[in-house]
Amino acid sequence: MYEMQKIEKRFPGVHALKAVDFQVKRGEIVGLVGENGAGKSTLMKVIYGAYAPDDGKILKDGRQVRFDSPIAALKAGIGMVFQEQSLILNLSVMENIFLGNEAQFSRAGLIDWRAMADAARQQLKKVKLDIDPARKTSSLSFAQRQLVELAKVLTLEERVEGDLVILLDEPTSVLSREEVELLFGIIRELTKRASFIFVSHRMDEVLSISDRIYVMKDGAVVDVVEKGKASIEDIQHKMVGRAVDKEYYRERRRKPYDHSKVLVELDSVSLPGRVRDISFKLHAGEVLCLVGAEGSGREGIIRAIYGMITPTSGSVKIRDRHLPQVSPRAAAGAGVGYVPRERKVEGIVSGMSVFENMTLSQQSRFSKGGILNLAAERALARDWIGKLSIKASSELADCGNLSGGNQQKVVLSKWRSGGSDIMLLDHPTRGLDIGAKEDVYEMVRDMCDDGVGIVLVADTFEEAIGLAHTIIVVKDGRMRKRFDCGEGTAPTPYELLHHMA
Amino acid sequence: MTRENLLKWAPVLVLIALVLFFSAINPNFLSLRNFARLSIAASPALMVAVGVTFIIVMGSIDLSMEGAVSALAVIFCYMLVWLGGSVAGLGLLAVPATLLLGLGVGAINGLIHVRLRIPSFMSSLAMGFVGTGAAVLMTGGNIVKIDDEVFRALLTYRMLGFPLMAYVALGFLLLAWVIQSYTRLGRNFYAVGGGEDLAHASGVNVKRVRVLGFALAGFFFAVAGLLQVAKLGQAESVTGSNLMFISITSVVVGGVALWGGIGGVWNALVGVLIVSVINNGMIVIGIPDFIQDGLLGVLVIIAVILSTDRRSVAFVK
Amino acid sequence: MNLERLKPHLPWITLALLVVIVSLIDPNFLNPASMLSLAADIVPLFIMALGITFAIYIGGIDLSAQSMANMVTVVATVLLTSMGAWVAVFCVLLGGLFGAFSGFVTTRFYVPSFISTLAVGGVAFSVAQWLSGQRSVSMNAAERDALFGWMISKTAGVPHELMIAAVLLLVCWFIERRTVVGRNLKAIGAGELAAVASGISVARYKTIAFALSGALAALAGLLFAVKLSGGAPSVANGFLLPAIVAVLVGGTPLTGGVGGVVNTMIGTLIVAVIRASMLYLEINATQQQMFFGLILIAAIALTIDRAKLKIVK
Repeated sequence: MYEMQKIEKRFPGVHALKAVDFQVKRGEIVGLVGENGAGKSTLMKVIYGAYAPDDGKILKDGRQVRFDSPIAALKAGIGMVFQEQSLILNLSVMENIFLGNEAQFSRAGLIDWRAMADAARQQLKKVKLDIDPARKTSSLSFAQRQLVELAKVLTLEERVEGDLVILLDEPTSVLSREEVELLFGIIRELTKRASFIFVSHRMDEVLSISDRIYVMKDGAVVDVVEKGKASIEDIQHKMVGRAVDKEYYRERRRKPYDHSKVLVELDSVSLPGRVRDISFKLHAGEVLCLVGAEGSGREGIIRAIYGMITPTSGSVKIRDRHLPQVSPRAAAGAGVGYVPRERKVEGIVSGMSVFENMTLSQQSRFSKGGILNLAAERALARDWIGKLSIKASSELADCGNLSGGNQQKVVLSKWRSGGSDIMLLDHPTRGLDIGAKEDVYEMVRDMCDDGVGIVLVADTFEEAIGLAHTIIVVKDGRMRKRFDCGEGTAPTPYELLHHMA
Repeated sequence: MTRENLLKWAPVLVLIALVLFFSAINPNFLSLRNFARLSIAASPALMVAVGVTFIIVMGSIDLSMEGAVSALAVIFCYMLVWLGGSVAGLGLLAVPATLLLGLGVGAINGLIHVRLRIPSFMSSLAMGFVGTGAAVLMTGGNIVKIDDEVFRALLTYRMLGFPLMAYVALGFLLLAWVIQSYTRLGRNFYAVGGGEDLAHASGVNVKRVRVLGFALAGFFFAVAGLLQVAKLGQAESVTGSNLMFISITSVVVGGVALWGGIGGVWNALVGVLIVSVINNGMIVIGIPDFIQDGLLGVLVIIAVILSTDRRSVAFVK
Repeated sequence: MNLERLKPHLPWITLALLVVIVSLIDPNFLNPASMLSLAADIVPLFIMALGITFAIYIGGIDLSAQSMANMVTVVATVLLTSMGAWVAVFCVLLGGLFGAFSGFVTTRFYVPSFISTLAVGGVAFSVAQWLSGQRSVSMNAAERDALFGWMISKTAGVPHELMIAAVLLLVCWFIERRTVVGRNLKAIGAGELAAVASGISVARYKTIAFALSGALAALAGLLFAVKLSGGAPSVANGFLLPAIVAVLVGGTPLTGGVGGVVNTMIGTLIVAVIRASMLYLEINATQQQMFFGLILIAAIALTIDRAKLKIVK
């Protein structure tokens, strides 16, 4: 009913989808799993029309289709229920359900609210939700909103010809156990009306609801598993496991760290949102890696150390002392450096030169009475451009024009040149090509040799295992498991995934 | 009481408190005559406030009102004079013509904002200057007088003690309410204000909604221009002056969130009443009226602070 | 040569072209004396534009500058007798304080700057009306001449206003290019989130930007009051639009981060030339508003960095 053939998608430096074949039959629930970066989200975006594939064919009801926007996909009967919900909270439930399709209720230019409410009740009945359609959406629980969103997508049933395909992206991430069961019951019943593609990192849920499961790795579909023919373990083994060159992560340069010197200590830290009871110590020369699914709370923990989030309880100590105030300024002043995931937005200031970027966090060292010493700044920048072999025409070059890897080097040297010895690296290799990645790994080892403590959120399991001395698995905002990666005690990617999902 | 409910009713409570306060100091405040006076001052401001409410609900802002009202008022006067000088005859045509022109001016405003992708506060501010300049150009800095008894009846003819223009303003307020609550366009304003990208993803033509919103605002500015002429009996380049501050203040104080999506024309009414009661009350109890701008400025800031859900705002310029 | 590379040079090319065109139309335009007086006339506007540059440089706006200048004309006039020369210091501090308050409201309470400055402008307008009794007030001529007469006299034919403007430009340029404050303002304008993530206390520097804007608007008001030998609550009306235009046509975009005070100088000269030619064509000041409004739109559209605006509201 829905079929993809040999779908290809490339981005600069990344081969995101490699000849992907994908098929959904009428009334089927198809699971889609894969590690972060395996190509799941790219594939989803191709399915719901946000990306056009570079090559390959998409067939819907036997006809070849091509979508240039999500709206075009909608019109062909392909709907999407987003992870971060897409209802407009200040509108009523019925307005959300019929947003963009109110014309059918217009009588002489005026909206017939009663007719719309009746129609909305019809839609809500499909998902077994008995609420007043005139209620404001913001007053609903998350589970109710999820169902409203489903009801909204199901209006396609009346609006388009042909069968429906509904994409569910991590629909259970904010739901309780009972709510998940309820949702699954409704989805199973709805297979009379539509087919579903179910994307989740919760393996047990994928297994329990899907008729077939596509397993992705490195942009390709590595296996299609029929219901009842695979265990969680089998699938997880397929998702991970690739031969990795030990030299890639500079593992020989991983040296024991200094247990006596504690740089950061978190004591049962809880954050607004879901992060609870996080405790760990970061030592000089240690790489501590936080592993978890997207939204598990890893970034929040890093941002709490950097003073961007105020803990609701617990304490963060830097070098055995509480900072006078919770702010990035105080943290940076205490020697904490932060390399954010969004390099172009939070890492560098594009439009400013390399040297201006490098001294951004340490202007007091390069000024007297508020007046900058430009010569000293530029000398520092030249020094670090040499040290890290940053490819820039000079220290005056606009940082925004450098390549991703060189920008990352600028961000790293910003902190290192200022003497930061606690480094928080959030996806430091994201979007970099292989050579640039290796440079970053090299720098991680260099920093450890200098006695720097590093908290890392890695791009992949391999990266985490390859770099870390200590791995902490975070799931739903809590610490699930701690691994010490000494000789022979390092976990396998499979083990990490097992504790994560 | 939840925060949301409190915010919803706070403006009304403030209004009641103000009325009680001024009446307690000077009982004359509560007289029909005074309220009639208040309604004359409030009617044009209400029309401007209603127009800009639609825009603020979308999360944008329109600051062109002063120029737009002046230019439209001047054009109306010239048309009226040219068409015989009285709305009892051919001159009546000047009314719909001005309203249509208002729509057109607003649409141009919207097109500049949407097509050139300029933040609306700046594009509309610039257009306001253009409007004022145009008014000067047309009048040569002079005043255009209107002495049509029939048109001035808006001010002079009273029903139940209130001038006709108060009822006209109320009528247009009802029209605005119908647009807001019963038309697709009106509802789409809320969708755009609540989540522009989400609305777009659901197939709402956001650009069209924006342009139409500005056109609608222009229409109400035209009504305000007509009422100003009725009130003053003349038009000039400063006919619209001070309306920007008063209308924006009113809308915000009335409880329309600057972030869009929340509030509506009734909030605009309450806000205009609050501002008018303060203006009028200060005169009645004998406080010099120049304190008003300062007080209103402070009120706006307080209202914006109270209505802002700071958790949801990442950063603000 | 593509447009992006041409962009930084557009302001002075525009200026040069305008000068050529205007001097072709009106040969008297190039007469040094008339040029000097033309430049001197625009100094209060230039000072105000300098201030607004800082607000726009960080991606904000200051709509209170005109009311601030209005207020200061009144304050300076009323307090001249009692405070003497200190009134100048007082006015600048007052302007800085009002500006800082706008900045405080903007950063602490997340109120957009165009609203907070509009509101603070309302407060300033009230103060002006209160102090002036809603009338024009005049300075004591002898006191003015003794204390501030030097501001508007000439040395070797060069009006002192121009020297004041040059000194202020130099000071502002120094702040912008050579101080921690300037560096941080640039970082905030060019990439606010990266500035936060680098440990810069963004709220403090934004407040400083608005304070600078307020202080310079006050200076503009002071000079204007001295020139007029008096003040009134609406005497500086008509300054705001050309001042914003000057900043934008100079090449500091509404989104901030690039441009700066030197650009504003070029922008102000463009405004001055346009004004002069309009006077020659007998288009009066208020009518010019129409034209400047259109230039404003064109200037924003040309300079704005749309990559920084995900949704244009």
